[in-house]
Amino acid sequence: MATLKVINLTKSFGNTKVLKQINLKVNDGEFIVLLGPSGCGKSTLLNMIAGLETVDDGEILIDEYVVNRVEPKDRNIAMVFQSYALYPAMTVRNNVIFGLKQRKISKEHIEKSLNHFSKMLKIDQLLDRKPAQLSGGQRQRVAMGRALVREPQIFLFDEPLSNLDAKLRVEMRHEINKLHESLGTTMIYVTHDQVEAMSLATRIAVMNEGIIQQIGTPQEIYDKPNSIFVADFIGSPAINLIQGKFYKDGTISCFIPEQQKENVKISLNDYSFISEPKEGQEIILGFRPEHLNLPDTSLNSQMAVSLKPSLIELTGYEKEVSFEFYGNEITGRLPRHINIELGKPISLSIDLSEISIFDKSSTMRI
Amino acid sequence: MQTLDFQKMENIERSSARKRIFYRWLLFIILGIFALYYLAPLYVMIITSLKTMEEIRQGNLMTLPREIIFDSWITAWSGRGGIDAGNVFLRPFFWNSLKMVVPAVAISTFFGALNGYALTKWRFKGDNIIFLLFLFGCFIPYQAILLPMSRTLGFLGISNSISGLVLVHTVYGLSFTTLFFRNYYISIPDEMIKAARIDGAGFFKIFFKVLIPISAPIAVVTVIWQFTNIWNDFLFGSSFSFGEAAPIQVALNNMVLTSTSVKEYNVDMAAAFIAGIPTLLVYILAGKYFIRGLTAGSVKG
Repeated sequence: MATLKVINLTKSFGNTKVLKQINLKVNDGEFIVLLGPSGCGKSTLLNMIAGLETVDDGEILIDEYVVNRVEPKDRNIAMVFQSYALYPAMTVRNNVIFGLKQRKISKEHIEKSLNHFSKMLKIDQLLDRKPAQLSGGQRQRVAMGRALVREPQIFLFDEPLSNLDAKLRVEMRHEINKLHESLGTTMIYVTHDQVEAMSLATRIAVMNEGIIQQIGTPQEIYDKPNSIFVADFIGSPAINLIQGKFYKDGTISCFIPEQQKENVKISLNDYSFISEPKEGQEIILGFRPEHLNLPDTSLNSQMAVSLKPSLIELTGYEKEVSFEFYGNEITGRLPRHINIELGKPISLSIDLSEISIFDKSSTMRI
Repeated sequence: MQTLDFQKMENIERSSARKRIFYRWLLFIILGIFALYYLAPLYVMIITSLKTMEEIRQGNLMTLPREIIFDSWITAWSGRGGIDAGNVFLRPFFWNSLKMVVPAVAISTFFGALNGYALTKWRFKGDNIIFLLFLFGCFIPYQAILLPMSRTLGFLGISNSISGLVLVHTVYGLSFTTLFFRNYYISIPDEMIKAARIDGAGFFKIFFKVLIPISAPIAVVTVIWQFTNIWNDFLFGSSFSFGEAAPIQVALNNMVLTSTSVKEYNVDMAAAFIAGIPTLLVYILAGKYFIRGLTAGSVKG
């Protein structure tokens, strides 16, 4: 049982503010992913939770107890690092039990947990090898074993899969997922990989420039991004963003793309605004590539468009097609079997029930 | 057309092969000349030490001895048995040097490692300034510290003693050993230290259990460097010690300069060679690690 609370946490390195008033509450058993581009402060936040960096201002609480001045070893946490950080001179066995030995735990208990967890991670055949004799995947397993035998209250992961090749990364991701399922321990996981974040997290905290931009379930983050940054950062290919103005005529509200000759209006009647913009306000319309697709009669709110493909990329199970759309390049994810040619117009539709509207000046969702 | 091209390619291939062989030979010849140039003094030393004085007076510098005689080596090492003032021999001073070099190398290497560890893995405010001061220490000329150091040794009551020399060499060596270890440890990922901290190891535990076991390459470099410098030092030895407490290089100098009547070149050469044997041995035994350690850190392992 462990909860974590971060209250108004700030941190500077010299004159650079790395974290600005971070607030985060992690419930027991949650899998929180801190997601953001490099330099956004996510690793610093994790290091501060671990106790490896000092706190400038604010508080970190584990189980309602302020741990600001508690040494890392006494916080009952374990951490897995990107570079594995195994001790090169020790065998796998000694790497795994190093932490237990420091805690003066009885030999029988050490032996028992070593057996249990090395079997679980399938490293029981490697116990007498040195880290240099292991492959990247095996090293990461050992690093996980080192964290697991400690049976901590909170697991911290600092981009643990970034050094692995693509196939192994997926494999290890599944294992971490299963691990969380079976242990039920609170986990905090730092990554810049949105696929990892989406597939592992119970909640994602998207960070940028020392601020948590949005925190929510993967679905919320993906469907209802609360800022242009989050919308653009999550999803591949990236969300389509179109600049334009808000227009209102009686009960009809609509979006007018910026660069257009014919009088195109996109109806926003089905969009529920958080706060309705003013007439003529500059706004940005966003929709994900999968919502630009072949016309579908089952949808009740869609807009028909005729577009000329400017680039066609086959990804295997679908086609990612780029179009020119009123001065913006937009992407659609189309079924792979359809026949399309460069420069030849095709009838498509935009699903208007899945759009997001952002204010241009504040870049926030409205 | 095709045969013509084929012919052309073959010509190019042949001429480039010829060029390659030519440059290879040129390289070997130049290297050979340099090797001879550097080995010549050693050759002269050895053959002279094996000749009798008579033969030295008659003969040519480069000719091989008519008969190999080790007498001069024995004289250089353990004297002629008499106790006259001019009878200086190396044996006691060899042990002096060994008693000086072993602790001085061990202590300066150990503290260099500790400094390097603290400067890279436990960063603190002003650590770069302290490192800069260490660097500065590498460039202080020996002569500049002679006077203050002799006053310090006098104050501590260890002037003209082996322990005094150990202190001087340790202090002077620290700048270099710290620099070596600092540059090596900076290439070791900080995450390893973080992991150990979370595992519950403290400052010294991490140093001894995690870092020391992987420091062999740079330790070898440091030991060779320190051993050579301290063993070959003449200035500190002659400034801070005399008589029975002197290290071997000082004794060698005394031996060569104070011989009565005739100059015994064969004994001098043997003595010079004996004084150089330990450093030669260290290089031969650990030399291959030397280059490896010097370049360590420059390439990610």
